[in-house]
Amino acid sequence: MRHPILFTLLAILAIIFLFPFFWMFYVALSPDWTLDNFKDVLSQKLFTRAFFNSVFVTGVITLGNLFFALLAGYGLARYPSVSNRLLFVSILAVLAVPTHVVIIPLFLLIRNLGWYDTYWALIIPFLVSPLGILLLRQYILSLPIELEEAAKLDGASELKIIFSIVAPLAKPALAALAIQSFWINWNNFLFPFLFTSSENLRVLPVALAMYQGYQAIDWPHLFAASAVATIPMLLVFVVLQKQIIAGLTAGALKQ
Amino acid sequence: MAKTKAGFLLPLPWTLTLLVIWIFPLAWSLFLAFADYNLLSGEVNWVGLGNFKKLLSDQNFVTALKNTFIFVVGTLPFTTVFALLLALALNRPVWGKSFFKAAFFIPTITSLVVVALIFTQLYSEGGWLYRFFGKFFLLPTGGFLLSEKTALPSIMIMDIWAAIGYYILLFLVALQNVPQELYEAAKVEGANAWQTFWAVTFPSIKPMLFFIVTLNTIKSFQVFTEIFVMTKGGPLSSTTTAVYFIYEEGLHRFKMGYASAAAYLLFAIIAVFSYLLFKSFKSETETLTGAKV
Repeated sequence: MRHPILFTLLAILAIIFLFPFFWMFYVALSPDWTLDNFKDVLSQKLFTRAFFNSVFVTGVITLGNLFFALLAGYGLARYPSVSNRLLFVSILAVLAVPTHVVIIPLFLLIRNLGWYDTYWALIIPFLVSPLGILLLRQYILSLPIELEEAAKLDGASELKIIFSIVAPLAKPALAALAIQSFWINWNNFLFPFLFTSSENLRVLPVALAMYQGYQAIDWPHLFAASAVATIPMLLVFVVLQKQIIAGLTAGALKQ
Repeated sequence: MAKTKAGFLLPLPWTLTLLVIWIFPLAWSLFLAFADYNLLSGEVNWVGLGNFKKLLSDQNFVTALKNTFIFVVGTLPFTTVFALLLALALNRPVWGKSFFKAAFFIPTITSLVVVALIFTQLYSEGGWLYRFFGKFFLLPTGGFLLSEKTALPSIMIMDIWAAIGYYILLFLVALQNVPQELYEAAKVEGANAWQTFWAVTFPSIKPMLFFIVTLNTIKSFQVFTEIFVMTKGGPLSSTTTAVYFIYEEGLHRFKMGYASAAAYLLFAIIAVFSYLLFKSFKSETETLTGAKV
């Protein structure tokens, strides 16, 4: 074995890093190593509703992110007008602006539009992802333009070119974005928490954070619920580890 | 489709998002910062710099700023250095590399709410961490999160643990992009590992380091979720951070003008980092995607 000392050090650190998760499962399975806590949680309407909300909201946002990033990314890459150049710079600027500045006005806006405590509030503000457009624009720039030009000569429409030529070639970037969107929105707490108030509209992170407030904390059940909320992301991660790591660092775009 | 029309229509959803979700709210909030606007009464009164004056003499805001600074200064160097060291280790041909990468990364893919809940339990009086350290040290009664002295540092330690994985991956991307010839040249010159790091590795990964530090600075200045879940700003405001203050004033007490002023004051403090991050985004996007910005 190469680097035995390094390996030992890393192994110890890995145990420290994973311990809290073992602990979550251990407490969730207590007191006597049964799935009772999980069964209780999964039969609670409050929790199953939150799970459904998370799946629905994250699903719609991820699809929206992919669709709009493909269109806008293509537009910004292939039509470099002055205004599009400006739009591109606006994306970099928005990514650098701290989101806390828009908390208050966005809350007021959502309220005035009548979206407060509706699915609209959970979805619309996140439907177009600046990071996604950035990823797709960059990727499409690295694609050869000849295929698109040939299709154009054959009389193919812009949308046809995007969906039947660019989209298949941009698959790695789209996959990276899908993972990125799923990750960010599945775990998002702040905005869903600020924009909703009724129990029916809670997504998982909000439901978990609020559950705590009800009574003296019932850790075994709370951890069973936390585990169920974490498992989808863990599964995706275990299956797609390579793509995820590439996707989250956008490094995939280089290959 | 005409050429200009397509160029305009394709990015239109972003144009609208930019105007409605970003520019309009930012402008509105800037206006509110100079006004007294209570959502409950619905009245808007122009107060000029009144909100800002009040903020600077508001003990709660000053405490919130102080806590935020402590949080940033106390987590950033550790997160950055640990992430770099672990990335350097994982950049070597060590056995079980992809397992280790996964292990360090799992806290990052987990919801911060879940992470915060697990640590709330571990830090509590009956929790494993509290009992473990209680064997060696005299600990505050009631658990780590119930003492003014230990609550904020406890949350900071959790945050370092949770954030490292993401930055390890970013550092790894940068390390893999260091030209191999440079290492060979250093070898020929007879440089040792330490010299090679400072002469070859460090200059090559510097832009990524810069990106990571600015990104993490801005993120850390906005710490909120873990505070809300773990302590609600307590005990005795010892964990109230700037964004938690904005949340309390704006969305609890509905003082929209006052909260907006606080948000802009915080923005002014971190604007320099925002600008640097914006610059760095340009260069790092090029490194990460290989296409010109």
